[in-house]
Amino acid sequence: MAPEEATSEWAGAGHSGPMLRLEGLHKSFGDLHVLRGIDLEVAGGSVVCVLGPSGSGKSTLLRCVNLLEPPDEGRILLEGKEITGGGAGDIDYVRRRVGIVFQQFNLFPHKSALQNVSLAQEKVLGRRREEAKGKAQALLARVGLADKMNEYPERLSGGQQQRVAIARALAMDPHVMLFDEVTSALDPELIKEVLDVMRELASEGMTMIVVTHEMGFARDVGDNVVFMDGGVIVEEGPPAQLLDSPREERTRRFLGLVLEH
Amino acid sequence: MGTALVLLGFISDLWNGTIGELWDSTDVFRTQYFDFGLMADEFDPVLNGFWYTVQLSVISGVLSLALGLVLAVLRQLPGRALAPVRGLTIAYIDIFRGVPLLLVLLLVSGGLGAFALEGVIPQEIGIPRFFGRPDPFWYGVYAITLTYGAYMAEVYRAGIEAVPRGQMEAARSVGMSHGQAMRYVIVPQAVRKVIPPLLNDFIALMKDTSLVSFLGFVEVVQAGRDVQSEFFNSSALTLGAIMFLVVTIPLARLVDRLIAAQHARFERGAPGLEAAA
Repeated sequence: MAPEEATSEWAGAGHSGPMLRLEGLHKSFGDLHVLRGIDLEVAGGSVVCVLGPSGSGKSTLLRCVNLLEPPDEGRILLEGKEITGGGAGDIDYVRRRVGIVFQQFNLFPHKSALQNVSLAQEKVLGRRREEAKGKAQALLARVGLADKMNEYPERLSGGQQQRVAIARALAMDPHVMLFDEVTSALDPELIKEVLDVMRELASEGMTMIVVTHEMGFARDVGDNVVFMDGGVIVEEGPPAQLLDSPREERTRRFLGLVLEH
Repeated sequence: MGTALVLLGFISDLWNGTIGELWDSTDVFRTQYFDFGLMADEFDPVLNGFWYTVQLSVISGVLSLALGLVLAVLRQLPGRALAPVRGLTIAYIDIFRGVPLLLVLLLVSGGLGAFALEGVIPQEIGIPRFFGRPDPFWYGVYAITLTYGAYMAEVYRAGIEAVPRGQMEAARSVGMSHGQAMRYVIVPQAVRKVIPPLLNDFIALMKDTSLVSFLGFVEVVQAGRDVQSEFFNSSALTLGAIMFLVVTIPLARLVDRLIAAQHARFERGAPGLEAAA
C-alpha cells in the first residue's frame, strides 16, 4: 500500500487542530488516585510514546481515552468533539474511531483469526459477510498472516496473536490506535514482528499512542515521547531530547534504570 | 488330568456346601428384587413409564437450559438502571434453589387448575394438554423447569464469570454493545466451559422427574410401584432403576470424558497463555 494513499485512509478528515486533546484528566479507583491531572495533545498522524514505571497510570490513561474507564474529571476531545460529556452516544463514537491493542492480546479464542477480524465489522459496522471477510483477509495479509487466517488463537504464537489483534482493531477503520504494552507479554524473539507492523502503520500516517518499554521503538518511531510517573506527565518532548537529555531528575533516574540492565 | 478332576470335585463340594447355602439364603432377596420372570412380564408397562420419564426429562431439560441462560444473562446486565432486574433475578434464583422441587410441584399443580377454572389464567396454560399429554405431565414440566432453571442459571453464571475480563473489554473496544459482547463473545465461551456441569444437572433433573408420580402420573417409578403393590414384589422397580442406569451411566462417562478433554486442552497450554498467567 502506497504511503500517500494510506495517509488519506487513516488520517481523520474534516477538522483542524489536534486529533486528540486531553484536558485535566483525573481517575481514581477507590482510594487510589491513578491519574492526577493529565493534559496532552496528539496531532493527527503523529506517534506519541508513553514511558514510565509500572503503576504510573500509563495503561489507565489509554483506557480512559477510549472510555473503557471513564475519567472522573477532565475532558477528552477527539477530532474536536468532546467525548466525555456523558452522553450515551459518546462510547459508540469513540469505539468506532479509536482502536486499542492489549498486552494480553485478548483474541476471541472460539473464533479463527479471520473471524476475530471480521466479527465486529459485521455486527457493529453492519458490513456484509463477504465484504468483512475480504477486509479481514487483506488486513491479515498486511500483518504477515496470510497463511494463518483459519487458525484458532491457541494455535498461534504470541507474536502472531498480537498481530491478529492489531488487524482486528484496524478492521474498524480507526482514526487513532492505542497500544498498551503490546510487546510486554511476548518472548524476545517475537517482539520484532509486532513492532515492525506498528512501524509500518506509523509510516502510513496512523495517529498512535504507544505505551511501551521499547526505548528503541520510542526513539525511532515516536514523534513525541511522554514520561509519566505518579499519575502525572513529568516531561514531554521529542525523543532525542527526552531520551538523551531529560530535564527532570525523575526522568533521568527512570531512564538510567531502564538503560542500565 | 487327575488333578483337574480333584479340583472339579472340590469346587462342586464347595458349591453344594458353603456357597450353595449362602446362595440359597439370599433367595428371598433375589426373588424380591430380581424376579426375572416378573420383570419380563411387566417389561412393557415399565418401559412405557420410562418413555414418559425420558419425555419429561428432555422437555424440562431443554426448557431449563433456556431459562437458566436467560436468568444468567439478566443477572449480568450492567449499569445502575438495571439493578432492579438483577435484584429480581437473584431473588428468583434464591427462591427456587431453596425450595424443594416436590413443594413447587404441589404448588403448581394445586394452583394452576383452580386459577384456570376461575378464568384468571388461560385454560391452555392452567390445565395444559399440549401434544396430547395430560396436565400432570405439564405441571411436572413447569415445576422442574422453574427449579432447574434456577440451578442451571448458577452454572451458567460460573461459566460467564470464568471468561477473562479482557474478553469483554476486547469486545467493547471494537464497538460491540454489552448485549453483542455477551451474545457473540462471552456466552459462547461460557457455555463450552459449563457443558459438563450442565450435563450433571441434567442427570439430577432426570432422576427428579420421578417426583411427578406424586401427581398420579405414571412415569417409570409409578409404573414400578403399581406392579409392586399388585404382586408384593419390587422387581419392576429394580427394572426401572436399570433403565435409569442405562441412560445415566453413559451420560456420567460422557461428562468425565469432556472434563478430561478440557484438562488436556488446558495442560497442552495455548501459546501466549503462559505469558498471560
